[in-house]
Amino acid sequence: MLIKEILGKFILVLFLLLFLSGCWDQKEVEELAFVIAIGIDKVEDKENKVRITYLISNPEAGSSAQSGGSQEPPREIISFVADDFISSRNMANSVIAKQITYDLLRMLIVSEDFARDENFIRWIYDATKSMEIERDIKLLVTKEESATFFQNNKPLLETRPHEYFEKILATGNEMGTIPESQLYQFFRITEADADLFLGIYGTTLKDENIQTSDDPQQITAGEFDFQGESNLTQFLGSAVFKEAMMIDSLTIEETRMAILLNPSLKPGFFLGTIPDPFDEKYRIAFRMENASPLKFDLKLTGGTPSIHVTVPLLLEVLSNHSMTGYQKDEEKRNKLEQSIEDNLNKEFNDFVKKTQEEYKSEPFGWSLLARKKFSTISDWENFDWMETYSDMKIDVDVQVKLGKFGRQSDLPRIEEIRD
Amino acid sequence: MLKRSLRKTHKKTISNEKSSSKDIKLKESDIPSNFEETIDTFKSIYSYPDNQDVVLRPIDISGINKKSTILFINTITDSKAIEDYVISPLLNNNDSSKKVEDIITIQSIKTKSKVGDIITKINQGNAALFVEGEDHAYLLGASNFESRAVEKAQNENVVKGPKEGFNEKATTNISLIRKRVKSENLVVESHIISKRSKNDLFLLYEKDLVSDKLLQNVKNRVNSLDVDAIQNLSLLEQYIEERKYSIFPTILYTERPDRAASFIEDGYIVLLMDNSPDALVLPATFWSFYHTSEEHYLRFPYGNFTRLLRILALFITLFTSSLYVAVVTYHSEMVPPDLLLAIAATREKLPFPAAVEVFIMEFAFELIREAGLRVPSPIGPTIGIVGALILGQAAVQANIVSPIVVIIVALGGLSSFAIGDISMNFTIRISRFLLLLSASFMGLYGITALFTMGIFYMVSIKSFGVPYLSPLTPSYASSGDKIFRKVLQKEILRPGYLKPKDLKKR
Amino acid sequence: MEQSKQLIGIKEYIAIVLLMVGTKVTDNTPTILFEYIKNAGWMAPIINGLIAIFPIYLLIKVFTIYKGKSLLEVSDHLFGKFFSFIILFIMLVVAFGAVIVDTAIYTDIIGTMYFTKTPTIIVYGILMLVCAYGATRGFEQIGSVAWTVFPYLQVSLFFALILTIGQGNTAFIFPILGDGAWEVVKESSLRLSLYADFLYLFLFYPYIKSEIVFKKGTWLALVFIIMNLSIVMVCYIFLFDYKTIMQLNYPYHELIRTISLGFIINMEAFFLPFWLIATFVRFSIYLYINAILFGHLFKIKHFEYLIPSLATLIVFLGMIPENPTFIIFDIKEKLLLMTSPLFFLLPLLMWLVAMFKGEFKNANKRNIR
Repeated sequence: MLIKEILGKFILVLFLLLFLSGCWDQKEVEELAFVIAIGIDKVEDKENKVRITYLISNPEAGSSAQSGGSQEPPREIISFVADDFISSRNMANSVIAKQITYDLLRMLIVSEDFARDENFIRWIYDATKSMEIERDIKLLVTKEESATFFQNNKPLLETRPHEYFEKILATGNEMGTIPESQLYQFFRITEADADLFLGIYGTTLKDENIQTSDDPQQITAGEFDFQGESNLTQFLGSAVFKEAMMIDSLTIEETRMAILLNPSLKPGFFLGTIPDPFDEKYRIAFRMENASPLKFDLKLTGGTPSIHVTVPLLLEVLSNHSMTGYQKDEEKRNKLEQSIEDNLNKEFNDFVKKTQEEYKSEPFGWSLLARKKFSTISDWENFDWMETYSDMKIDVDVQVKLGKFGRQSDLPRIEEIRD
Repeated sequence: MLKRSLRKTHKKTISNEKSSSKDIKLKESDIPSNFEETIDTFKSIYSYPDNQDVVLRPIDISGINKKSTILFINTITDSKAIEDYVISPLLNNNDSSKKVEDIITIQSIKTKSKVGDIITKINQGNAALFVEGEDHAYLLGASNFESRAVEKAQNENVVKGPKEGFNEKATTNISLIRKRVKSENLVVESHIISKRSKNDLFLLYEKDLVSDKLLQNVKNRVNSLDVDAIQNLSLLEQYIEERKYSIFPTILYTERPDRAASFIEDGYIVLLMDNSPDALVLPATFWSFYHTSEEHYLRFPYGNFTRLLRILALFITLFTSSLYVAVVTYHSEMVPPDLLLAIAATREKLPFPAAVEVFIMEFAFELIREAGLRVPSPIGPTIGIVGALILGQAAVQANIVSPIVVIIVALGGLSSFAIGDISMNFTIRISRFLLLLSASFMGLYGITALFTMGIFYMVSIKSFGVPYLSPLTPSYASSGDKIFRKVLQKEILRPGYLKPKDLKKR
Repeated sequence: MEQSKQLIGIKEYIAIVLLMVGTKVTDNTPTILFEYIKNAGWMAPIINGLIAIFPIYLLIKVFTIYKGKSLLEVSDHLFGKFFSFIILFIMLVVAFGAVIVDTAIYTDIIGTMYFTKTPTIIVYGILMLVCAYGATRGFEQIGSVAWTVFPYLQVSLFFALILTIGQGNTAFIFPILGDGAWEVVKESSLRLSLYADFLYLFLFYPYIKSEIVFKKGTWLALVFIIMNLSIVMVCYIFLFDYKTIMQLNYPYHELIRTISLGFIINMEAFFLPFWLIATFVRFSIYLYINAILFGHLFKIKHFEYLIPSLATLIVFLGMIPENPTFIIFDIKEKLLLMTSPLFFLLPLLMWLVAMFKGEFKNANKRNIR
């Protein structure tokens, strides 16, 4: 068997080669510095440079393994001016001992200042070049410089930085206070050039001139007033991107509405409040979820394009400070339902109006529905969704169904107690 | 140079053969007609009286008044039987008209006239009776080899099902199989396969099932052996297998008569030999090494649960350590962040690269295993505990290995015990090291490359003409007993790759 | 050792065809289709599949006359030694070119997506080593391996797709017609050579158990492939939208990097090995095809011995382009365009010649001989 011998020798030579020449891509995990988040800021006066901040996780922190568990801090932050966030790795290694890697990169954080810059798009697209950067990392906008953000952000209980970000963002998504904000969605929406992209909005600075008495749902990052012993960071609301440039920020409530109106997202159970129809002093808290999928009626051809959206919501009333007896009184229930419906209708329609007038585009992903009405790409592109949107006749119709009234549906009559 | 040396060895073999030619001539010839000469011939053959256990007893047969001599080896012969059924009838005979055959009351009597044949029989424990004036010897079946009793199978344990195992006596083993296959179609063929020690090999098969071509193939291979001695089946296995260097076994080795019997009933051929507490089953496919008999004794869901565990164990054994090395050194981005950081934290202070670390631990595990086998049995159990405790715990505390690696190696090692067949067990363990090497060279790419080559190799193996992975591929009609088994009522076909004469079981 | 030659059955045959053609969806072929047909790219496999029925039908028609003869012998018989040599030589050139281009692309995938620092020659070398080893084992063995691994590959692919559908958006598929119906049909039919591999399948005719197996297997495989290709391509659109996908070099690998399952954020470790196995088996088949053609053209009886040298040659030729991502892409696109007429016209030509020679009428006589 000549062939076997030749093949055998070939294998042998190859193995020797491998032995002698070493292994190129091999890198031991303990020799890597895991970057959890990258911050990108504008550098004053220098258009072709950016300030890069790395948040590097210390694997030994919080580890109970025998060989780990030292008293080292959980993270390391380094900030410097570089050309981009790909080549910046080598520069960082002049300070950081271990080789910088993006393997665990979960977040890209940009300052609002930079996000509003028209050159933002040039830098962010670097993320598609590097092999290590996953497409599903999150994009986050901070009010302050991201370098400041990193330094101020000192989570007390979740010492490992990736754990902190993972947890707080997941909770925020579930509560509807922040959008999903995945980087590949950002690229997709930018490329499709029809919708708005919502990024997570966060800060570590508290807005000083905010009054506590304001509607608690109408706040955005930095406006949540809290005291106590906790981390300063807050993730609230969303940053609105139009054509890869940040144009505005949304409050919690607006973010929540944007999620509810988006047919492709699956909203969880959102909490909300409205003024109590029986006593204007108080607000009624409720939990809402989509009762059934949104219904859309799009008329795009012939005359003014119009969209009619039906939002079926299932509500669960959670608080009843006016202590109204809904349980036995159908009329009161109807009034409550009506009032909630009116309230929500107004809020939704106002918000849609705002997107039409201020942003001239929508963050609801409706363009995808509109695409179904066109058979070819050229038709669709000629229609120019973004241009047409601001002139459309849009009508949101919320249909509320009251569900349960909390665990204990009835409350004592306040008059009876206080007599 | 190579040719010259070859020629040399060739010459040597020829000269060896010459010296024994005189012996061969003698053995071919008939026994001498002269009675005294006959006795002398056998005395010289058996070096009587130097040979302590050779017994020569002259007897004068009363009644017919003939001289005779009985010759046997008393260590392998039942002396009591000879005394009771041969010697005393011969001495006490009064009837002068009776023939010798009729006087002796022992069970089996054969007559042979060739010296060689007689010697063979005597060596097998028979007694030879030479009678004056007769040109043949009477061979009296009274063999009695020492052997242990039928005991529990040692290596292939079952919880449910028969516990008997083969022992070192072929007749017992055949009887154990006959006990299960009570059919006149079960043939026990005997072949002498070695030239000097005259080892007997028994071929068992059902003549109305087994494919003639397969049988002929096996017989040819067994008869073409040219060796002095093959003591037992473990050695024979290596003589008759096709690929001597392959890490995959191609002949199944079992110590359970029930398993051997069920293979016979499916049209396989079973080989038995003295001195082997086991049977060889051929041809063997990959699946026969993967299965155990218990899975058919357990009820359908339980049996398949065991099968599921075993296939998982097989893959865990093969891949855990290599995957760990590949992922930690090449593909760290594929590990969930918490786990990756945990691994990184434990590895922080270790002196070795991950691949070396795993290799050391794997090697240590194999050492413990081998040592545990070889130490005298009273110390055996302690070695395992000491080895595991001291090596594992101390190595972790001394920052030589990380705790995760201990888990990985222990898991892989433990799982390897789920593959019961000893040959397949070695195959898996050796492959594990090869995979570990390839993982440390090229990560997942290396593992996959080696794995693919392994599969290519596996499908090209044939065991006595039967493809190794059949009936999976190439597909044959069969009961589909591959990774999982079917309900017994649906296992109605014999494996088609054996080309049995009767495919359907009823 | 008497190892009788075994003919391969329908399962093995279908697995081979599916691995040969179906694997294309995981390289840059979808990108080429998406680039020209945009989000209607997923229709191309269907349209092409429908067109491909015609040449495949003609070929099968011709081959049923010649029981158990391969494309080589039939071509020699129909066109005469000289023309047959030219035709087969062109086929060899195309096949060899395709192997070089495809292996270079797969090496590039491994090199850019997973082993960025490893020298190309090592990645390439290991790839071809495994394939050469596989191909030298023989056709039945390739078939067996294909069938052994195929279910797992298919399951892993579908697992990836299910996750994709969960994370993607079905609305991305609209506007459904892309650049317009006519454009879609035109651009896809220009790339008919997507299925050109079917032509080479007729080289395996004598290795297949029976004529029925071959016929049935070919048609079933075609249906499976069409479904596989278009479903996977639809899933690409679901996840990426057409604008993004036109920019991705290797959508499958971006896909397995993007999808996640619960706490396992990065799933590619689960899918990479399966894809690699498919790759190895696929190129083993291609190597074998090349060896058959080469052996026949240059009268080398034991063509298996050619495989190692062919593999070595492929490595060195495939290494020549300095920037595979662009140059090889370019060559592949051209190859796709050029092969299309060959795939369509050659069967037609064979059928016509067979017709004029009156082979169909003589079919019965031939059977007796």
